[in-house]
Amino acid sequence: MSAPSLISFVLKRPWLANMLKPVANTYVNAAGYRQMGLWADDLILEEDETVLQALNRLSPRQRYDRLYRIRRATQLSLQHKLLPKNEWTKPEEDVPYLQPILEQLIAEAKEKQQLDTLAVLKKH
Amino acid sequence: MICRPALTRGSQLALRRQGAAKLAQRGFAAVASPTASYEPTTIAGVKVASRDDNGPTTRLAIVAKAGTRYEPAPGLTVGLEEYAFKNTEKRSALRITRESELLGGQLSAYHTREALVLQANFLREDLPYFTELLAEVLSQTRYTTHEYHEEVQQVIQLKQAKVDAAAVALDAAHSAAFHTGLGEPLYPTPNTPISSYLNEHAVAAFAEAAYTKNTIAVIADGASQTGLSKWIEPFFKTVPAQSSTPLTTAASKYHGGEQRIPKIGGNAMVIAFPGAALGANQPEISVLVGLLGGESGIKWSPGFSLLSNATSASPGATAKAANFAYSDAGLLAIQIKGAAPAVRKVAEEAVKSLKSVAEGGVSQETLAKAIAKAKFNLLSASEVTGTGMVHAGANLIHGGQPLQVAETVKALEGVTGDKLKAAAKTLLEGKASVAAVGDLHVLPFAEDLGLKV
Repeated sequence: MSAPSLISFVLKRPWLANMLKPVANTYVNAAGYRQMGLWADDLILEEDETVLQALNRLSPRQRYDRLYRIRRATQLSLQHKLLPKNEWTKPEEDVPYLQPILEQLIAEAKEKQQLDTLAVLKKH
Repeated sequence: MICRPALTRGSQLALRRQGAAKLAQRGFAAVASPTASYEPTTIAGVKVASRDDNGPTTRLAIVAKAGTRYEPAPGLTVGLEEYAFKNTEKRSALRITRESELLGGQLSAYHTREALVLQANFLREDLPYFTELLAEVLSQTRYTTHEYHEEVQQVIQLKQAKVDAAAVALDAAHSAAFHTGLGEPLYPTPNTPISSYLNEHAVAAFAEAAYTKNTIAVIADGASQTGLSKWIEPFFKTVPAQSSTPLTTAASKYHGGEQRIPKIGGNAMVIAFPGAALGANQPEISVLVGLLGGESGIKWSPGFSLLSNATSASPGATAKAANFAYSDAGLLAIQIKGAAPAVRKVAEEAVKSLKSVAEGGVSQETLAKAIAKAKFNLLSASEVTGTGMVHAGANLIHGGQPLQVAETVKALEGVTGDKLKAAAKTLLEGKASVAAVGDLHVLPFAEDLGLKV
């Protein structure tokens, strides 16, 4: 989660975003998670306090679907198979469902850190 | 004359403090604060009651018509109470807490059967900050799902575990007396099925109906009228004038009856009669409460009150009388708690002493003491911040006027022995509401006590 990212830099410049879009799509296809029915946010490492807390904030339906996708992918991995092509994750399905919650939690922690280390300036 | 920069920092501070201290001082010629009552006004569509004693601290409260009487489903009032000062659109709950800590403020939220109160106590000069905060809590709280699961639900469960036999008995007596509305429990017990009604969406819908200019009152104790009119107007713009789905309530009706609830770990009984409503002109009820009393006002003696004399033979048991006044009904309740045999004995004694009042067994001296006690209760309640604020707010949101202390005191002085006798007689002839909680093998039935239910 803490890997440096140029995403905001690229998104601010539409011409650059349009230019890199085909490259990004090729990368996603090459990564191969969509062929196993996973979503990008399913790949976020679970062994982390913040991520665990974010997972707790998912709705029951989201939690169930996520577990289903992960189990199916594990099974496929054991069998050295891919899903039939009509069951691959479609690009429009692959929405971030965990990332926004994670960002919210990180913002909360950051705010707490800032308030904890606050210096009070006396006016007199 | 020494020029200011030549002084040390300490003395500069001292100079400045002198100026600040003037606020709280009063010269000999100045009139002592005559405003014991809250002055009602309307600022930008919001009902406001304020009084100003020029003290250094201020108590600002929002009294909303969202008590357990008005909740559309069980548990919503406590849910709304726990959501107070949580994340809003503008800032997080943590920031609210830390900022008000830095300003030395105290935030609290509590509810009665009729009102939900959001209160802030703070230093006088921080009025703008806390006015903005309270308005923000009313109109911009986010009612998030994760806060409900991570905080609200947990706190409610902890508080439910604390509901004791005395509270259950009082709720049961209200339930027998008023059935719905005022009869809803003040705090749901762990056995109350609330989980199917209480969730963040239901609380948000309830807040939308309850937090409107029509259904709230702002009560300020220790804030200047000019400050209030200056700051309430801009900050309360975001509070809607009225809700699209207003809360509906039926008028209270007294039924009376008996409730018996088995419970481990505590025994309590409540014997209740129809009492005086808020603003009702029934001074004899207040005097009767003073006469029944319960808690001794002086040390090392049970005092004159009938209930404390009734408990003196049963150590460990306590009994007290109170008039619970609501906007359109009242409940005069005798609350007894202690070990089961003691509770039984005190209950019998209490009814016996009430009967003696009805037969005119009150001496002139005792009556004078009871009137004095009733006067003290009234005046100290209107002075003690908290009780007075809630009463003033409850009156405002129900369209009444804040308590006029001087008139009420005069009415109390006019109570005679005959009036008291008649009042006690009416109570005993009507239907009582009796609740027994605890060891039901020992606790008596209302009929055994000689009461009609």
